[in-house]
Amino acid sequence: MKPQRVVILGASGFIACALARTLAAGQIEHRAIGAAEIDLLKPESLAQLQSAVREGDALVICSGLTPDKGRDVATLMKNLTMAQHLAAFLETAKCAHVLYISSDAVYDGREIPIRETSPRQATDLYSLMHIAREQIVSVATAGTRMPLCIFCPCAVYGAGDTHHSYGPNRYFRSALTERKITVFGQGEETRDHVYIDDLTRLLTLCLLHRSAGTLNAVSGNAVTFHDVAERIAKLCGDDVRLECLPRSGPITHRHFDVTERIKAFPTFAPTPLGRGLAETHRRLTSQR
Amino acid sequence: MIGFIGLSHLGIVYGTATAAKGFDMLGFDPDSDLCEALAAGRLPVAEPGLDALSATHRARLHFTADPARLAACQVVFFSRDVPTDSENRSDLGPLRQLIALAAPHLAPDAVVVILCQVPPGFTRALIDEYPSLASRLYYQVETLIFGAAVERALRPERYMIGCADPAAPLPPAYKQWLDAFACPLLPMRYESAELAKIAINCYLVSSVSTTNTLAEICEHTGADWSEIAPALRLDRRIGPHAYLTPGLGIAGGNLERDLVTVRTLSAQHGTESGTVSAWQLNSRYRRDWALRKIHALVFSQNPEARLAIWGLAYKQDTHSTKNSQSLALIESLACAPLSAYDPQVRLAGGAIANLRQAPSALEACHNADALVVMTPWKQFTSIAPAEIKAALRGHIVIDPLRTLDPAACKAAGLTVHQLGAAAN
Repeated sequence: MKPQRVVILGASGFIACALARTLAAGQIEHRAIGAAEIDLLKPESLAQLQSAVREGDALVICSGLTPDKGRDVATLMKNLTMAQHLAAFLETAKCAHVLYISSDAVYDGREIPIRETSPRQATDLYSLMHIAREQIVSVATAGTRMPLCIFCPCAVYGAGDTHHSYGPNRYFRSALTERKITVFGQGEETRDHVYIDDLTRLLTLCLLHRSAGTLNAVSGNAVTFHDVAERIAKLCGDDVRLECLPRSGPITHRHFDVTERIKAFPTFAPTPLGRGLAETHRRLTSQR
Repeated sequence: MIGFIGLSHLGIVYGTATAAKGFDMLGFDPDSDLCEALAAGRLPVAEPGLDALSATHRARLHFTADPARLAACQVVFFSRDVPTDSENRSDLGPLRQLIALAAPHLAPDAVVVILCQVPPGFTRALIDEYPSLASRLYYQVETLIFGAAVERALRPERYMIGCADPAAPLPPAYKQWLDAFACPLLPMRYESAELAKIAINCYLVSSVSTTNTLAEICEHTGADWSEIAPALRLDRRIGPHAYLTPGLGIAGGNLERDLVTVRTLSAQHGTESGTVSAWQLNSRYRRDWALRKIHALVFSQNPEARLAIWGLAYKQDTHSTKNSQSLALIESLACAPLSAYDPQVRLAGGAIANLRQAPSALEACHNADALVVMTPWKQFTSIAPAEIKAALRGHIVIDPLRTLDPAACKAAGLTVHQLGAAAN
């Protein structure tokens, strides 16, 4: 069932922008709100949210300071301040549905494969932030009748990424600008990467089904960083070289069990990595 | 006369075995319709050999819903299977009700044996409630296996007997019954016997879970578990009868119940039971192996694919669907058109909206894009892979339990995916 309207907080972000496009394509009414309009760091954001979000809206919370904006205590506290103001709003809100965009960083990865019921364990202040914000949003909505979905994406790739995090997005940038891709060690670590279009399709499915609970937004196919780098190098041209730098930590692997996603959305099939990377390359190069 | 109070699978099988050993058996159950059916030879449970055994010894099999008749029994077994809820927790209520109903009618010197699946402490606690049982109450571990229950009942490996005093001689009438089975007798205290039952199942689960964990690694590394298992069986520490066949987690109800019991006891007494939690997690994960394969191999290519499912029972040679992996899979395939066949299980018409029960295994394959073999019924092995290939629209067979011969399937143009090895 289509939501009456979807309000996306964190309008300028990679996921928010992509979600807005997907909702537009699906003719689902939506409104994206950024910090320029409502600054969640400020106490007056409560009243502004109460004015902007209507009863019956679905609320997607993408707003937050990502690691590229800082990994220190000050950034953590800012993110928690946003959550505090959001919680004050949620406690009395009458949204039809609330989706909090968290991160797979909440899992420390000791349990393999990682699943929605894997224990949350902070490994740095960024993961601590999401764990805390998940709890804050859960507590705030617990006394309401609003279904809450905690949405945990793994690394997201695609054109439009704003974070430059290690992985496909950074590899594309450096391949296209510097004609090289740098991997740590031999790129042995396996990681799951979810294509941005798949992410927004899954988010839309959650919205249409008013899903509640936790869902890991992952492809289910973890590959090595080396594999990703090779594929991107090939897409970007024969002169792109792989550069291996010494690694600073031990090799770790992260795989996800997608059983819950399969059961929740049996008709959803993730875009194969090769096709997702090719589409990303096409979009990036068409923008140049 | 030997009495069996509670005529579910446990009581029917043991009662029939008792008659086969030359004893007159009185089966009691408050359900008079059940007693009437049993008296007429209509057994509500299916076990290989049970119908024939029951027919052969019909003259010594007596059934009644009148508890007063129990006064004629020198030994009575409480033999009602203890049901479990959806969380695999035992519901001892029906057993307690049965005891309360029957106890007043038992002969004052009758030996009373609890044969049901009870947690440690249950038997001893009964003495507080029924003091007259103090000198004649025993607990006996049952080790039946669905699909092999008659063999297990007639030829037990040993009897583990929980006693108030393990050193005291067993009552003559009970000893006579026990001796008829010609197996070692192991008297022990009540709690040891109650926990022995659980311990056996925990060791089985540990073997199954270790096998499943390593078999999954085989699937990704090019190893073949079927080549490894014989080597393990030849290790004296593991043994020729170890449970080394990869599976889809544990099912049937009893194993799961005992794991829950261990975790409950552990929580109550503050002992460490992380291993048990890991087994349960592994079992839940394994249960969905076929679902993940279907999505990765079939639906990823064709979201509209039709599937054929062979097997609905939780294991072969039984009608039981308790905790059936097949039905769990079917529940997760609610969007897909399914045809299913099982030699014994008959679902009520329309019970599952997207599932059609076919009259034969090959008919289930007709126009299906892939076949999933969920219960390893022997009759499936006699179906030629070439016939399967001809009936299917596609070539993919998901056969977790290695029911079909992978080489023969490959020769017929089928691609078989089985536990413990990479696809053929």
